[in-house]
Amino acid sequence: MDIFQSMKISSSALQAQQIRLNTISSNLANIETTRTPEGGPYRKKSVIFRTVNQPAFDQQLASSLQEGARGVEVARITTDNRPPKTIYDPSHPDADSAGYVAFPDINLLEEIADLMSATRTYEANVTVIKSAKRMALKALDIGK
Amino acid sequence: MPLPGIYDTATILLQKVLDLREQKQQNIAANIANADTPGYTPVHLEFEADLRQALAQPGTKAVATHPAHFPINTGRIEDVQARTVRSPGSRFGDRNTVDLEQEMTALAENQLLYEATAQMLNKKLGLLKYVAQGGR
Repeated sequence: MDIFQSMKISSSALQAQQIRLNTISSNLANIETTRTPEGGPYRKKSVIFRTVNQPAFDQQLASSLQEGARGVEVARITTDNRPPKTIYDPSHPDADSAGYVAFPDINLLEEIADLMSATRTYEANVTVIKSAKRMALKALDIGK
Repeated sequence: MPLPGIYDTATILLQKVLDLREQKQQNIAANIANADTPGYTPVHLEFEADLRQALAQPGTKAVATHPAHFPINTGRIEDVQARTVRSPGSRFGDRNTVDLEQEMTALAENQLLYEATAQMLNKKLGLLKYVAQGGR
């Protein structure tokens, strides 16, 4: 049934936004982390979304004739290669010989703005699921 | 399967509208799901004008002579297909052109119209039931 397909599309978005939220909280949590398993300070992570299930040409043609409605997924999580910012703090255990410490270059405002955008999109998708459910329930009432 | 005589044009139209609105719901869901996908351009479904035309002049016919042909609007209400309209892309930012507010409004509108259609179909069936029970 089409209604369930619409719920599946929205839930794929919920999942993708959830992963985005995870990377944002990881960035915020590690805003001052100077040690990572890979060595060096933490680096900002960000997600890249893509539309799921790019079908072969004939299927694509058929789906674009019908509806062409597709969900979303996280293609990959990228590591930002901005250089770490250096702050002079000779008392820090990770300071180099000149007394500078490399901190992750994470912009708090950037992360908060991203967080708000993720929350907004998440809520929009929850609304779509609610609406699809209401429609399905209404259809169940036909003929009662 | 609509039996001739039992279901009138309005009932067939209402069934068709429910179908198309369901498709549209799926479509809006996809646009909202991809609100943050780089390079995504939203697709919108349009069928109101085709339905209106099919209602106004049910005689116009175009017949698909082969099952693999593209679906054509034959002028009958049952055969009206939703047309997909892809909005133009953008060269700015992440090239995504989804307007979340517009999609949410379309969602609310679609849902309300779906519910209205379901309710009208309900009334139609209620009327049939009333007649079938001999007015009791």
